[in-house]
Amino acid sequence: MSAKTICSRCIFDSDTPGISFDDQGVCNYCHQVDSLAQTYKTGTPEGEARLQQIIDEIKGAGKGRDYDCVIGVSGGTDSSFMLIKAKEWGLRPLAVHYDNTWNSAVATENIRKVTGALGVDLDTYVIDNKEADDIFKAFLLAGVPEFDASTDIAFVQVLRSAAARFGVKYILEGHSFIAEGVSPMGKNYFDGKYIEDVHRRFGKLPMRTYPNLTFFQFMKWALLYRQKFIRPLWYMAYSKPAAREILQQQTGWQYYGGHHLENRATAFLHTIYNPIKFGIDNRNWSLCAEVRAGLISRDEALRIYNTPIEPDPELVKYVKKRLGLSNAEYEACLTGEKRTFRDFKTYKQRFERLRPLFAFLADRELVPRSFYLKYCFPLKE
Amino acid sequence: MILILDYGLGNLGSIRNMLDHLNLECLISADHKDLEKAEKLILPGVGSFDTAIERIQGTPGLKELLDHKALVEKIPVLGICLGMQLLTNGSEEGQLPGLGWIPAATKRFPANGLKIPHMGWNLVRPTGDHPLTRGFADEIRFYFVHSYYVEVADPAHSLFKCHYGLDFDAAVGRDNIFGVQFHPEKSHRFGKQLLKNFGAL
Amino acid sequence: MLRTRVIPVLLLRGESLVKTVRFKNPAYIGDPSNACRIFNELEVDELTFLDIRATHERREPNWRVLKEISEECFMPVSYGGGIDSVAMAEKVLKLGFEKVVVNSAAMRDPALVTAIAKAFGSQSVIVAIDVDRSFWGNQYCFSVSGTKKNRIAPVDWARRVEELGAGEILLTSVRREGTWSGFDLDLIKAVADAVNIPVIAHGGAGSVGDIGAAVRQGHASAVALGSMVVYQKKGMGVLVNFPDERQLREELGR
Repeated sequence: MSAKTICSRCIFDSDTPGISFDDQGVCNYCHQVDSLAQTYKTGTPEGEARLQQIIDEIKGAGKGRDYDCVIGVSGGTDSSFMLIKAKEWGLRPLAVHYDNTWNSAVATENIRKVTGALGVDLDTYVIDNKEADDIFKAFLLAGVPEFDASTDIAFVQVLRSAAARFGVKYILEGHSFIAEGVSPMGKNYFDGKYIEDVHRRFGKLPMRTYPNLTFFQFMKWALLYRQKFIRPLWYMAYSKPAAREILQQQTGWQYYGGHHLENRATAFLHTIYNPIKFGIDNRNWSLCAEVRAGLISRDEALRIYNTPIEPDPELVKYVKKRLGLSNAEYEACLTGEKRTFRDFKTYKQRFERLRPLFAFLADRELVPRSFYLKYCFPLKE
Repeated sequence: MILILDYGLGNLGSIRNMLDHLNLECLISADHKDLEKAEKLILPGVGSFDTAIERIQGTPGLKELLDHKALVEKIPVLGICLGMQLLTNGSEEGQLPGLGWIPAATKRFPANGLKIPHMGWNLVRPTGDHPLTRGFADEIRFYFVHSYYVEVADPAHSLFKCHYGLDFDAAVGRDNIFGVQFHPEKSHRFGKQLLKNFGAL
Repeated sequence: MLRTRVIPVLLLRGESLVKTVRFKNPAYIGDPSNACRIFNELEVDELTFLDIRATHERREPNWRVLKEISEECFMPVSYGGGIDSVAMAEKVLKLGFEKVVVNSAAMRDPALVTAIAKAFGSQSVIVAIDVDRSFWGNQYCFSVSGTKKNRIAPVDWARRVEELGAGEILLTSVRREGTWSGFDLDLIKAVADAVNIPVIAHGGAGSVGDIGAAVRQGHASAVALGSMVVYQKKGMGVLVNFPDERQLREELGR
């Protein structure tokens, strides 16, 4: 077995899709993070000044309305921290949650505690539980890695819809490229057409309550509603461990032990389905980010990454129960045929063809820049 | 293997659920062959004293086998709720004698203003240090639902005490024989700790 | 000391959880198994599931959903909705439920309460009494999910079901249900004072203070929560939750 090249700065290796290394052995993702930090002046007075400008804009635009911004919450670190900051900045946020009916008590409790402590109202969209299961099952039967794509897409659609309903232009998102890195494109892909197509081929129930982000919806939010997608953490210094401390002290929020493990579907994706069926271990995204931020050493990160994930047998039982899978059917899903998004209809080509338009929209923050970077460029095979 | 005795009374599935959750191997069975192989025994029970004793006595060979497993082989035994009351000499609820594995009497709660049955979550206090009652934080509570209570003859056999109008024995133990008046399988982490302790005996 | 029980009551419609207001307009809440799992993780005292369409649609309980629910819980769970025979009660109890809740069937055939109590013990049968006012202001007991009026006053029916052998009464104010406006304390007190079996107050809880009032002024033995455990706040989004234990402790001295 040939040795893998590992980035000299973070821990992404040559197996990471779309990766390349420079003369010093530093990978393109490290460079991408550096370049974003440059563009957004992250953690510098200039960056903070820009953020303050945006905050003032938000306040101005929101006068006379119940809320001046919406913040998507999941009970996780970033979105919960976003609520604290928003209140600190004097904003009047509405917390919006997409409930895929697979939440754990850690998620719901965190949402309760944080919104309660800060006096923030919560708007929730709950998908019909049977439909949710049908879509999850369709993704399993399709043999593709993106088991939880429906949650990610619905989250955005619900957020945008709530903003529209309450007449709010600004959507605040707790993503931080410093703390989370930019996830490598290639192995995981999702868009509304992909979900439609997987469901069409492998689902059984009609999709009636699933809030899909179709191309039409996507353009509607950007062009018609002109909603602005703001990522405050791209401008300010942010450390996840520090954020967790603050959350715990101020609200009683609790850490759930890993990226998005507060939702059972996402936990299944990251700790069981992706590692076992596809050999994908996504812990390296956040580990790389922690290394780049100097929170842990590269050696420590490699040690953690090389320790296999412990799957939770209770979670496996739950998945079989919710999705109505016998032991044999479940095993068949885990060992069966592997497909990728390329085997299904998606908007990818359309996004690539419309790159100039999306570059324009990204500059005006009408679509997230990370969307532009991820979706509008052809993927290296 | 922990055998959960199926003699027609009691919520066996719930007990098994919790044992599964604790990764303790268990089996629900009425089959004497399984009872013979059991390394530990759980005696569940919901309902009336005499009905339970009749069921046990009415099954040929069962009482003898139970006596053998408990008193000769001395495997750990845990009676739950009515199952604990069966371990005593007898109950005011019925006419038939109990198994008599722990010298104790089962009595009716006096009707002095408090609602009967004693139903809900109540606090218990350990009487001393015992492997069955270790590992709990300061405040220990369990779910109870019973109209009769147990009073041991020898205070050394009382493991947990509870108060409902009067002090009664919420858990008892003598050598390898144990009983809990409450429902560990319905008592969240407290029940889990108790069953975990039993599993480790 | 015996803790005052605070019990989430979840309404089942088909295979989903819903929440009504005054027994009408069911709003979608989510998945029963997952909600159960969350309440289990939160270690609530007890849980009650009511199928609000079973009797109306003249059908049996959804056995598959019930099995899934019972497997999740490490605390006592009760089920009501469409139970009209001892055999059906037995099936529910065997699945792992502690208690069955009956309303319409008990109205039609009061002897059913006695039969279930005799077979499985009084503590296994809760009679649900849903109370609403008639146009003239008199209080009556309603059945079939609040659609059928029965010409008997709540206190009289409560006394009767106690005689019949019921272990507990789940007393619901139809008018207050889903409104967050506080319990009907007069109603609760009248019934609780008239019987010796525990009365569970239900319908109208909006705050921890309301929970305390139901016990102190209403003399309820236990308190059931509906909207409070499935919404973040009055009028806001769905969020499965349970009141803070410290607040409950202060309010109820538990």
